[in-house]
Amino acid sequence: MDVFLSHITKRYGRILANDGVDVALKPGRIHGLLGENGAGKSTLMRVLAGHVMCDDGFIEVDGTRHAGLTPTGAMDLGIGMLSQDPLDFPPLAAWENFTLGGRPRTRRQARDRLAELSAGLGFSLRPDDPVERFTVAERQQLELTRLMDANVRLLILDEPTTGISPEQKDILFRILREFAADQGRIVILVTHKLAEAQELCHEVLVMRRGRMAGRFESPYDAGLLLETMFGPQAAQAAEEPEIAGLAARKAVGVCASAQASDRAGGGPPLAELAEVSFSDEKSALPPVSLTLRPGEVVGVAGVAGGGQELFLRGLTGLARVRGGRFLLGGQDMRGQGVTGLSRAGVHFLPASRMEEGLFPGLSLADHARLGFPAEKGDIRDLFVRRFVERFHVPNQPAAPAASLSGGNQQRLLLSLIPDNTRLLVAESPTRGLDVASCAQVWEHLHALAAQGTAVVFSSEDLDEILARSGRILVFYNRRLAADAPAAGLTVRDLGRHMTGRTAAGAPQSAAWACNRKS
Amino acid sequence: MKTPSSATINTLAALGLALAATLVVLFFAGAPPLTTLAVLFGGGLDSTASLLKTFSSFIPLFLCATALLATYAAGLWNIGVEGQITLGAVCAAGFLRLPDPATFPPALALALALGAAFAGGALWALLAGALRVYGRVHEIFSGLGLNFAATGVTLWLILGPWKRSGMASLSGTEPLPEAFRLPGFAGKPASMVGVALAVAAFGLVVWGLTRTTWGLKLAAVRQNLKAARLIGLSPRRRLLEAMGLCGGLAGLAGGLLVTGLYHRLIPSISGNFGYTAILAVLMVSLVPAFVPVACFFFAVLLAGAVQLPMALELDSSLSGVIQGVLVLAFLAAGRMGIGGRLTGDRT
Repeated sequence: MDVFLSHITKRYGRILANDGVDVALKPGRIHGLLGENGAGKSTLMRVLAGHVMCDDGFIEVDGTRHAGLTPTGAMDLGIGMLSQDPLDFPPLAAWENFTLGGRPRTRRQARDRLAELSAGLGFSLRPDDPVERFTVAERQQLELTRLMDANVRLLILDEPTTGISPEQKDILFRILREFAADQGRIVILVTHKLAEAQELCHEVLVMRRGRMAGRFESPYDAGLLLETMFGPQAAQAAEEPEIAGLAARKAVGVCASAQASDRAGGGPPLAELAEVSFSDEKSALPPVSLTLRPGEVVGVAGVAGGGQELFLRGLTGLARVRGGRFLLGGQDMRGQGVTGLSRAGVHFLPASRMEEGLFPGLSLADHARLGFPAEKGDIRDLFVRRFVERFHVPNQPAAPAASLSGGNQQRLLLSLIPDNTRLLVAESPTRGLDVASCAQVWEHLHALAAQGTAVVFSSEDLDEILARSGRILVFYNRRLAADAPAAGLTVRDLGRHMTGRTAAGAPQSAAWACNRKS
Repeated sequence: MKTPSSATINTLAALGLALAATLVVLFFAGAPPLTTLAVLFGGGLDSTASLLKTFSSFIPLFLCATALLATYAAGLWNIGVEGQITLGAVCAAGFLRLPDPATFPPALALALALGAAFAGGALWALLAGALRVYGRVHEIFSGLGLNFAATGVTLWLILGPWKRSGMASLSGTEPLPEAFRLPGFAGKPASMVGVALAVAAFGLVVWGLTRTTWGLKLAAVRQNLKAARLIGLSPRRRLLEAMGLCGGLAGLAGGLLVTGLYHRLIPSISGNFGYTAILAVLMVSLVPAFVPVACFFFAVLLAGAVQLPMALELDSSLSGVIQGVLVLAFLAAGRMGIGGRLTGDRT
């Protein structure tokens, strides 16, 4: 299959998302598509998959030109996309999802075909379970089988490794290699993660500010890739190994001192959970017991659906405390909702920033007004002092939040965290952010920790958890599977706990063993 | 950003399209289109008497439209305005049965009756609000249900406990004693007290929504309920406040209908003012400055409709058809970009 994108241009209002992009995709190869947030990767892929029409340019597939594709048209040509958030219908059964959009089939035919395909790919998907009970990885696998059934010859994957375990990633990569090797088919992997591109891709395309900035063949020069993605200065900052190392050392230091004071019977704990069971409308966690100390940075790992989501929401009052004792600064927090907990100094930073954290149609200044109702003076003054100068939010107080990029949305949310927060619960605080924005998020979170705020955060990126936390909690199968200092742990250790394979006699690292004793 | 002048042009284009659609409807209804329009729009304006008639519909319409601004600001679809008007009317009429007209100061009685009307409407709305906030019942369903319930309550009162002495009649309850009626204007039952109250309510609500932190909080709740909860805006309380305020103002409209216009409780006293107010507010896309204009426009149509049978031997219900077509055409033109930006999401 030969695919050629010529001069693809797509404009959203004043933003030029794609600016005359030319790409040649070669049969039998896995292409990596890299770029920072807002570089235009997703737009380009949506044009190719027919989800959006381009304003200018054309797509040439096996010698035939198409000015624009529709989703059906793209599927007929064999172009299929696995979206970052699976495009499925959660209440419907797996086999129903599998059939939708494909050729008409009876229930028996659909189930047989699904079983046949998933066996061939090495998946075990229960055909009659509703998809809402699937994990992210399983939903992704179901989408993949559906695309395979539709005879896709060009497969686009948008950030496919977000929210799946290292082992599931290995399975996915094996399938992609086999797919591309067979009959000259094409794979495009859209990703933020350099390591993945290096591991899997035959060639890497880098986009920057709506344009194709470079094309590289394996082996890659990581420095050059970063420079092409971010421009020379940011690349230099991102490459500095000290950032991660120093932060980790500092965090470990804080944690160690907290433990020291614990042994000395010193400073009181910030939060004490004794057999606390959290629950929301859909699910419940078995009782959890742990203590959080001021200044601690605690990373929470787990495969999506592992229970860490509910745990974080429970800490903030978004989920109910069904049983046990939840003390915060010595006060009982049972029955307190978000309002009560935030009065006690808890603040939540949600992962879906626009959906849960911000008001898309309200201006930045209005956000400042709502976030700091006690501020009686000129709100513009506060906005400039805090939001712009301290957190680098764009100095456009009248602009609506909806106009912000992902990084600026997070900056706005960071500015809204009260300075006297005692417990900050951050859900994937750097999800989808580029290197420079990530660095700023961590600079602030560590600054908060240094002044005594306990920071509990989750992340899909295990490297980030290892680099940034002093202590790590791992959830598996809706239980707290491990609670240990971060020092000495490896990605493989975390992966094992996330997939519940510790009982099988996997070798324990020294750190885990040490923790069990204490 | 559109310049104001192009926005005006767009609005005029939308109005033109709406009028054209109306003419087509009239043509198919077999009515002489231009004459019918002349009666409809002129009938409410051509004499002092008809102007007063127009004003008597304008008051409840304007109050209800003002009330709706509060619920729309919070993102609530309050279609229970009809029921809230009715309950206000019931409370006002019920209260005025208590004191002795010979001895009780009339001004105080009227003030208390209007207060009771406000409270009744607010309570009826808070029922729907509580169902939404605590029971996850959408306010469209509860509002619709409560509208029917309110009609039922009125009928039961008129035919049962409050029936006129010696007979039960659908013409309503015993008329109010003279003392407990709002003063009329030029011998017609069009109360200036009502106009004053409606204008004051409009001013207060618009000021509250656009100039205060409370209004900003309502806008935030409309924009994102989850974020409002996280940032500590107590969205449940805000929703109930908006609902209660809306119901109270609608109830006040009901109270004014009893004390100022009908002077008794009659069946379906709400007279579709609630639904018409929804149309009026939607037609101007919640832009406060245009709300009085839209209400006056509909009030003129309502007054003109009464003239249709006399002047042209057409049924007055044709006016309802025309109202609907006008709003639909206007909104459609707006949404399709012919009439400019008509969404309510401004800050």
